[in-house]
Amino acid sequence: MADIAMSRQGRRVFFKQGTVLKIVVLLLLIALIVLPLIRTVLFTLRPDVIGAWGDVLSGRLSTNLFYKPLKNTMLIGLIVSTGCVLLGGFLAWLVVMTNVPYRRTIGVMATLPFMIPSFAAALAWGTLFRNDRVGGQIGWFQGLGFDVPDWLAWGMVPTLIVLTLHYFSLAFTIIAAALATVNSDLVEAAQIAGANGRRILMGIILPVTTPALVAAGSLCFAGAVSNFATPALLGLPVRMQTLSTRLFGMIEVGQVGRGYVIGILLVIISGLFLWAGNRVVSGRRSYATITGKGGRAKRFDLRGARWPLFAFAMMFLLASTVVPVIVLLASSFAPSSANLFSGWTAHYWIGASNPSFAQGVPGIVHNADIVRALLVTLSLGLAVAFTGMIVGLLASYTTARYREGWASAAITQISFLPLLVPGIAFGAAYIAYLGAPIGPFPALYGTFALLVIAGTAYLLPFSVQTGRAVIQQVGGELEESARLTGAGFLRRLGAITVPLAIRGLAAGGILIFVKIIRDLSLVVLLFTPTMPVLSVLAYRYASEGFGQFANAITVVILTISIVATLIANRLQAKSQPWLKD
Amino acid sequence: MLDIKNLTKRFGDFTAVKDVSISVPDGAFLVLLGPSGCGKTTLLRMLAGLELPSAGQIIFDEQVVSDGDQSWSVDPAKRNSGLVFQSYALWPHMSVRGNVEWPLKVAKMPASDRQARVDEVLRLLDIHALADRYPNEISGGQQQRVAIARTIAPKPSVLLFDEPLSNLDAKLRVEMRTELMRLHRATGATTVYVTHDQIEAMTMASHVAVMNEGRVQQFGSPADLIDQPQTAFVATFVGTPPNNIIPVAKNGSGYKVGGRNMALSPPADECLAMYRAEAMQITDQPNERTLPMELVEVSAIAGRTMVTGLSKDLRLTAIVDRADSAQIGDTVQFELPAEPQCWFALDGERIG
Repeated sequence: MADIAMSRQGRRVFFKQGTVLKIVVLLLLIALIVLPLIRTVLFTLRPDVIGAWGDVLSGRLSTNLFYKPLKNTMLIGLIVSTGCVLLGGFLAWLVVMTNVPYRRTIGVMATLPFMIPSFAAALAWGTLFRNDRVGGQIGWFQGLGFDVPDWLAWGMVPTLIVLTLHYFSLAFTIIAAALATVNSDLVEAAQIAGANGRRILMGIILPVTTPALVAAGSLCFAGAVSNFATPALLGLPVRMQTLSTRLFGMIEVGQVGRGYVIGILLVIISGLFLWAGNRVVSGRRSYATITGKGGRAKRFDLRGARWPLFAFAMMFLLASTVVPVIVLLASSFAPSSANLFSGWTAHYWIGASNPSFAQGVPGIVHNADIVRALLVTLSLGLAVAFTGMIVGLLASYTTARYREGWASAAITQISFLPLLVPGIAFGAAYIAYLGAPIGPFPALYGTFALLVIAGTAYLLPFSVQTGRAVIQQVGGELEESARLTGAGFLRRLGAITVPLAIRGLAAGGILIFVKIIRDLSLVVLLFTPTMPVLSVLAYRYASEGFGQFANAITVVILTISIVATLIANRLQAKSQPWLKD
Repeated sequence: MLDIKNLTKRFGDFTAVKDVSISVPDGAFLVLLGPSGCGKTTLLRMLAGLELPSAGQIIFDEQVVSDGDQSWSVDPAKRNSGLVFQSYALWPHMSVRGNVEWPLKVAKMPASDRQARVDEVLRLLDIHALADRYPNEISGGQQQRVAIARTIAPKPSVLLFDEPLSNLDAKLRVEMRTELMRLHRATGATTVYVTHDQIEAMTMASHVAVMNEGRVQQFGSPADLIDQPQTAFVATFVGTPPNNIIPVAKNGSGYKVGGRNMALSPPADECLAMYRAEAMQITDQPNERTLPMELVEVSAIAGRTMVTGLSKDLRLTAIVDRADSAQIGDTVQFELPAEPQCWFALDGERIG
């Protein structure tokens, strides 16, 4: 009865596995994430720097250095997160729970703004609303003869609007996912009990989705307070500072110690809110995991309000997706943003250097800086996608396979730590970490390696999340049953894991690619002229008044992002015989 | 021989399996029976080599394959055993034939032998016509057959099943039960089968280990469990309908049984009395051995009638010949036999 397996029996395998893998992954994560943060803190405690704490918190300059930016930052965080939860929640309710026309279209469009970098929206705002207060080009409305007031052109109001129109799609995604899990039985039970639509919404749906609302609010808060591009483009010209622009400014002028102190305080503030949100939600989390038989809740009938509500939703969706793209595209062809739709020229794209035009700056195709930045950006995206997926898979495999012990818990916690750290503070930490030589290793400032390492570390929460989804898809019994056949690790990888996981891996890799090529806040401090990236070039051009070039570069970034996202979707839809019904 | 010696498995502070010792001969059909969370699946996974025991040994055919005391274990693939997963774990990107064939490829079986063996097991399980389908294109019962075919194709000497029928509907479950027993006779492989369904255990097993809270409560043949339950847990978990357990407490000179004094001679002042359902009667008039109960369930079973009554925490079931005229909600008299079948201490151990 024992012919095949018996003959191979007898090799004994020592079992205490996992320990080595855990230690390797843990050390890797410590080197990538914990050390930069610790080194930043230690730097500010050096005897010659420690005075920066006093300067920032209580010195003569503290009002301008910290308290005013703090006030602006908190105002932005609170208003933007409230607006995002209201707008995202409203759209999620429309899409998931009601019979509004074109539900699917609304659903897709509501996820798009997050794909568009927030500096794109800020640039588009400037192109439309700039007035002549700070000189340079005026915007389209001013060009049409409207007198755009300062409060609408610059500072707090446009920052709030642009950020809300950017982050609401994050709130939408979270809230829609939670609403979709509201069991149809729950709603039907309430209907049978005689509750009307409003009663069901207030009494059943809202309480059940509270954790998602809180989570969405705290994530939008953290995003808004750490956003750099929007307040920098719309606020800095009128000297409105937030903590992130202050941090950038301090490091730009060489006051590194003060910059780091502001960065640490920014991390504490955004971390505090995420932690508080988590506290409120935890313990009630079981709400979110209610599952049930398939089947949709009966949709709430909007009756006469269907089309008005559709129009109301589309107003926000168009303003946050279609309008910025059209404005940026038109502006990259228009000789001035005052005349967006007339006298188009392709100069900003393909023109040769001409002293009478844009101070002799050639079109972006002939601009060696921009071409090099394009290459660097694409290579950076590919490299970070690759290293990120490897580290993410390794970390999620380790924690999924060897769940027990403090080391696995530590791996999970550390890999999600960058979520608490605003990109610009993370960039600052990496300058503190690898900007100077460590022992035998040379300083990495200005190298491609620094960008890749920092990008990998910064996006680790996303790659671990993707890796986890992939592992869940193919792990467990599917992998165990392959192990039972005696197939070695590589064989299992080739025959079982990779074929099943390839879609998830590719889609995850592309997600990371898109995230890094349109990132500004992380790379804005790591940028050097020898290692340019597109987003920082766009920011520089915009702040130097070359709006068209900035917009053209942004269009390039947008195009790459959209193409990559389409490829990811295509990959996912690729026909696979085992998936058809 | 399949020997399990003092096997223990701890996850952190939690002990999933506590000091289990079982031994069955070659060709046995061992069922691990118990409620969910009793440690039966953990025990099975240790047998498969997927988990390392914290203490104790597992011995297949006089060879130690897992030794928790030494912290080593033979690789899952090299212990000559096969596991059928509860979820079937079919590889979704391989056809039925591919799923069955792949383990043989891994074992480096020559191509011609492989073809023959795959055809043989597909025929044995009556799924030959489905060979080129993908797992999502066949029904749950067919997927189950593929999972079994894949496991028996390399001819393991120990076959392990983790609740294999729990995802099937009731009718299919009965058919697969018969099928699995036929397969067991055809392969002669020692089989270990995990289930929470005592009917499966009673119909299929040559040996049953009833488990609760990580311990083996009783190990024996199905008939042993019915005739000689060793603990109150076994007495109430096994059998259709389960046995009745009634607390007995000394009350002056007599004994209080379910709220009434009766003349009994229990082995301890406070203990549990077991009465078989078929030994109980329903009467119209109260007498010195009856307990008044609220009638809560009546159902016809194989020409007889099963009657269940409830009184406070006590739930009694009797099998009687004909349906009583009483309605659900009425009070009926459950008459106990003169002596219980056996006695258990309050901790559940049998004492007489």
